[in-house]
Amino acid sequence: MVIQINKGLENWIIEKKRFSVLNVGVGGQGIIRTTQILAWAALMDGYQVRTAETHGMAQRGGSVSAYLRFGPEVASPLIPKGYVDIILAFEISEALRVFNFSGPNTYFFVNNKIIIPPMVNQMGFKYPSNENLCQQLKNLLNNIYFFDADKLALKAGTSKALNVVMLGILLGSDKLPIKEDSLQHSILRFIPKKSQEVNRIAFQLGIEKGKSIRRELL
Amino acid sequence: MSMPYFAEEIPGKRVIMLGNEAIARGILEAGVVIGAGYPGTPSSEILDTLAKMKPYYPHLNIEWSINEKVGFEVAYGGSMSNARSVALMKHVGLNVASDAFMTACYAGARGGMVVVSADDPNCFSSQNEQDNRYFGLHALIPVFEPSTAQEAKDLIKYAFEFSEEHHTIVLFRTTTRLNHGRGDVMLGEIQNIDRPYGFDWDRARWVCLPSHSRVLRTKLLERFEKISNLADEFPFNSLKLSSEKINGIRYGFIAAGIPYAQLIDTLIDFGLENKVSILKLGMVIPPPKKLIRKLLSSVDKILVVEELEPIIENILKQLAYENKLVNEVEIHGKDYFPQQGEFSGEIYLEKVANFIGIKFEKNSIPDIKISLPPRLPVLCPGCSHRSTFYAITLLEKELKLKFINSSDIGCYTLAVYKPLECVDTEICMGGSIGLANGFAKIHSTENPILAILGDSTFFHSGVPALINAVYNQNNILVVILDNRSTSMTGFQDNPGTGIKITKEPGTRVVIEELVRGCGVPSENIWVEDSNNLNKMVEKLREAVKSQGVRVFISRHLCSLLEEREFRLKQIQIPVVKVDPSKCKGCLICVNQFGCPALSFDSEEKKTNIDQEICRGCKVCISVCQYDAIYEEIN
Repeated sequence: MVIQINKGLENWIIEKKRFSVLNVGVGGQGIIRTTQILAWAALMDGYQVRTAETHGMAQRGGSVSAYLRFGPEVASPLIPKGYVDIILAFEISEALRVFNFSGPNTYFFVNNKIIIPPMVNQMGFKYPSNENLCQQLKNLLNNIYFFDADKLALKAGTSKALNVVMLGILLGSDKLPIKEDSLQHSILRFIPKKSQEVNRIAFQLGIEKGKSIRRELL
Repeated sequence: MSMPYFAEEIPGKRVIMLGNEAIARGILEAGVVIGAGYPGTPSSEILDTLAKMKPYYPHLNIEWSINEKVGFEVAYGGSMSNARSVALMKHVGLNVASDAFMTACYAGARGGMVVVSADDPNCFSSQNEQDNRYFGLHALIPVFEPSTAQEAKDLIKYAFEFSEEHHTIVLFRTTTRLNHGRGDVMLGEIQNIDRPYGFDWDRARWVCLPSHSRVLRTKLLERFEKISNLADEFPFNSLKLSSEKINGIRYGFIAAGIPYAQLIDTLIDFGLENKVSILKLGMVIPPPKKLIRKLLSSVDKILVVEELEPIIENILKQLAYENKLVNEVEIHGKDYFPQQGEFSGEIYLEKVANFIGIKFEKNSIPDIKISLPPRLPVLCPGCSHRSTFYAITLLEKELKLKFINSSDIGCYTLAVYKPLECVDTEICMGGSIGLANGFAKIHSTENPILAILGDSTFFHSGVPALINAVYNQNNILVVILDNRSTSMTGFQDNPGTGIKITKEPGTRVVIEELVRGCGVPSENIWVEDSNNLNKMVEKLREAVKSQGVRVFISRHLCSLLEEREFRLKQIQIPVVKVDPSKCKGCLICVNQFGCPALSFDSEEKKTNIDQEICRGCKVCISVCQYDAIYEEIN
């Protein structure tokens, strides 16, 4: 992988040393667990791994974001704006909040779900609609894909499998340089035995969805 | 249950660890015996993880202490008794512990003694972003700072050895991104410290009265000087020199902690990692003077990359002066990087490019302004605090009085936001009652003074302030929000639950008995179920109208824990619904009570209850004046 960091005086072109993912959503959607699963999968593929996560007060229904970086050589957890490879958004307005982390080469995967923050009306704000948010995002970005992952999770058997569906989509899209085996192993590591079957189905449904996105990409 | 990955005895195995787990692992590997502290983001998971290790390593003797000062003293008692000991807290916790800490640093460590201070640049979960590296300079002890999870594990392990060897307490400073970031870590060997533990009756050392302290102060200065001279050989400090010039100039960098990790990747991004000199610090205080002198005399321009205060930068400038190098080398720091907040990824790219004189164009798409209302953290659905605060707002309206709601640190501070707006002050742990004491001296009965704080916060430092109110007859109403948990930091137990960190039974301290013991008369103490709104209003009215020091204990289990308990005991969560034929669309439940499970259908002009998130607390049934909300019984 080669990316162009700078078009300045000496044309600094460097080989890409690390892959960066930004997971965003609302507290309770499983953002941190998703990041943890990806971290273990990257470890199994032999990479160095770094994450930075939101814990504590902000988690109470607030915006949650988690950075993940992995590669043969990586020290830092925070991703500079413009250098995210993949943004995985569990909620559409949270996708919009981080749109400026994406650069020309960022792929944006967005669960087309809106969670209206409580108190928004009381504070005198009007929350934009799904369509409005989608349009804003499409106007800003090229490589952006919408899907209904909550529906797929329910189809698999539980709304709680949302994060596994999202991981499946990411893998199916072929944009995530992690082996399927590693990701599957890593998922199982965090799922209690009794829920493994539902999550296996959720993963497959996600992968299929991701593959259809891949066809769109071509 | 299988052994958690952070407890496994397989040296060499690579795992992913949260920074806090890695710190706990380092503590385990060092053979530490005593661990004590008080929960506080971003430090809490360290002791939580040690608690999970305890079943496999029974020698670990750990506790959640009542506050950071006591936690420090517990650990220091361990160190005095020759056991390796650790005290764990967030940055502001060290303020609480500092009375003991400052003098303990005179007497120093016997068994290895480390204090972990988790700092929080950007105030992600804190009331300030103080830089606790200053405590090292203040107390004359070394400050270690790791830059990755692996280094955190290795460095804290080494810190105990270092502490014992040099008889010094070590301050182990981290920042949020280290504590709450994961990284690959290679497990190391778990040391077995085989030596007798016990007190040594060395009164000249442990009794810090003036005649002893003067002697101890001399020893402290000698110790710090010795450590300062050793800093150049400190294994976690490293200097990489490069004689290369970029446009005729030799560049140097100094960093530690997360900024070091970010800096290194930034230099790699620019292909500069071998073209500049880099001094990496694992021990930030005291600084390695010889290494710094070498760097100062090897480059033309130095950039110090440190978040918050310019501590290293100032030390560097001082050393440049002492070494007569002021005219030979330019020292930069805060003229490039801000003195506030966390440095974002792109700040490093921008400032390093700026410093070296490379043109750097931002890669990100234009930063246009988006019109999106904020998503603020809120009290959870079914949170018992909401009910208490709502009762307070109802009373304020009914009595036509403006209360001064002096509040405190915990989930309940979120009631500052709309629609409750029931929090008027928040400074520090236990500060609600202390400030209320002051307000009572100024304000008339037109402004009833309420001190509102949680159960754990009350135990932490509310008790002395309550005794103060009783003693000095400061007329206040203390409202203790007893949700039987230290929820904000991860549901830790406290004296009010009587459950120890290991989940073994301890001795429960009953708040109403404690309050009575503080001198509050029985007729001035109320205990009510927070979720019984009508009764709450009635009894709170009584309490507000009474005189003297009064304590109102509003008690109901944290809704998140209650949901967990219901699930465990297979109890059906009550189903609460809205009868559309009765709902008048008055919006009181949505706009004034404001549970996140309630929303308003603006077409039908009716309230909806989101059954996915409703926790069946049933408080909204009492909120509704038209009996439109009911519990569905099948």
